[in-house]
Amino acid sequence: MPGPIPDSAVTSPARPRESPLGRSVRAILRKRSSRVALVVLGVIVLVGLTAPLLAPYDPAAQPDIVGLKNQPPSLAHPFGTDPYSRDVLSRVIYGARLSLMIGVLATIVSLTIGVGYGAISGYLGGMVDSIMMRLLDALLSIPRLLLLLGVLVAWPHLSIGALVLFLGLTGWFGLSRIVRGQVLALKHAEFVTAAQALGASRRRILVRHLLPNLVSPIAVAATLGVAHVIVLEAGLSFLGIGVPQPLASWGNIIQDGADQVARLWWMSLFPGLLMVLTVMTLNILGEALRDVYERHS
Amino acid sequence: MLGYIARRLAQAAVIVAIVASITFVLIHLAPGDPFSAVIDNPNVSEQVRQTLRAQYGLDRPLPEQFVRYVGALARGELGWSFSHDRPVSEVLGTALPNTLLLMAVALVASFGVGILIALVQVARRGSFVDHFLSGVTLLFYSMPDFWLAILTLLSLTYWIPIFPVGGAVDPVMHDYMSLGGRILDRLWHLALPALTLTLLASAAVARYQRAALLDVLPADYIRTARLKGLTEREILRRHALRNALLPIITLIGLSFPALLTGAFFIERIFAWPGMGYAVINAISTRDYPLVVGGVIIGSIMVTLGSLLADLLYAWADPRLRSH
Repeated sequence: MPGPIPDSAVTSPARPRESPLGRSVRAILRKRSSRVALVVLGVIVLVGLTAPLLAPYDPAAQPDIVGLKNQPPSLAHPFGTDPYSRDVLSRVIYGARLSLMIGVLATIVSLTIGVGYGAISGYLGGMVDSIMMRLLDALLSIPRLLLLLGVLVAWPHLSIGALVLFLGLTGWFGLSRIVRGQVLALKHAEFVTAAQALGASRRRILVRHLLPNLVSPIAVAATLGVAHVIVLEAGLSFLGIGVPQPLASWGNIIQDGADQVARLWWMSLFPGLLMVLTVMTLNILGEALRDVYERHS
Repeated sequence: MLGYIARRLAQAAVIVAIVASITFVLIHLAPGDPFSAVIDNPNVSEQVRQTLRAQYGLDRPLPEQFVRYVGALARGELGWSFSHDRPVSEVLGTALPNTLLLMAVALVASFGVGILIALVQVARRGSFVDHFLSGVTLLFYSMPDFWLAILTLLSLTYWIPIFPVGGAVDPVMHDYMSLGGRILDRLWHLALPALTLTLLASAAVARYQRAALLDVLPADYIRTARLKGLTEREILRRHALRNALLPIITLIGLSFPALLTGAFFIERIFAWPGMGYAVINAISTRDYPLVVGGVIIGSIMVTLGSLLADLLYAWADPRLRSH
């Protein structure tokens, strides 16, 4: 008795597969929390980009170091002034610019190294892979802050560029392990074998066939990575070995008021609030991205 | 099981050896000497400088210096701290128990609090309480350690003066107290740093544990328990939690770096005389050997932490225990 044809026997018509990028974007827009996070983050980024237009004062100007120092929040200075009579609101606005920029640039460095290291390790396999992974184990067991302390104390008075480089150089360990795992899993997939059969070079297989499958984990690592760097940079600046003075970063502003935390509460409260808001939105977005990625793998 | 322990121990040893090499490279990549703060002082004559270099072996070829460095590390020597005028191992040795105490209290408390929050959330999943607690844990999860420490310091010592401002004991009265009074004094000073670290750590535990519980809920044995007519509460406690506790052991190992980093900032802000306090103060005095010693000890702590977690996992998981 001929029953209905089972679904599995019917080849569904070729439908264009959604790209990982499109999937990620839609996942963010679907959830209300991540939509809100996106808008808030957008505003903060905009503030950073237009800092010179928004800031009411020059962030480095010390108009009256005697008469105007340590002023609590007022109409003229909504976030108060610091011990050098600088306007804290202007410094927080410029701090957004600097802290976000450092976060993004350092993360680009981390992603480049992390993806390269992980892909090479996973693709080559064997002895090379196990040596590279042991080295990674060691790097992963040095707490990132401690590693940075060791480096930054050895090179005092670093420029921003060097700071970004070091933040980036210490942030790729986790990602490269994920990338390696993915490459290892996909290495023997049929589409890779097919590409090999067609005579594609190792390089071409890595770049054209394996890398596009890594977009999702990279997007997650990038989002959470920026958040992590922002917190680290603030911590290092708070310890006085991060962003050099008199540049304004969120950590630097808090550091300026750290000697008299109780009296100058506005100096730690406002930059900190903005920083927490930024990191929170990045964490929400990163987790939304991770949810999609985990559901699809 | 014994083979696994041996393999894991060997791995940990290799990791520590690589960490030592990395710190050596760090020291020698840096401009000047690791002791430039002392040696490059303009008041030090060239002759004294040469003598000092020779004393510290800085005039030897690099491979020889490396062998000496590793040899000294293996004997537990971490160099000389200039700012304390004592061996680094001694400085860190006296500070370490304070850091371990802080971390241990926060570890235990944060796992208790974190698991409890996760259970409440999962029991009422999707409700307002669940969303609210998710928001709160996300907030604390996103807070920089040092900023939360400043907030707790501001609110609970200055605005509402409940706790002491800093230190491990009362600087004046401690020595005149009875034994019970001294213990109370210590606990009193420990409370705020430990509370801060607990707040930071329990947010991570709660988020992790909530996900772990939600992961096991669709499992067949949960459905069976539900069909047996168990209440949701019993299912959570006796079936879901017990199975979701295994990943918690992994989390203990993973949370070590975060706990240590958090302890560093918190010790700095509350003047808690631990390793972080010593190392961070060494930054401003450019006491490089002390900072590097801190990096090495911190890395060993993290390595031991993950080793311990792995062994605990192997012991706790009946599927692994038999091997």
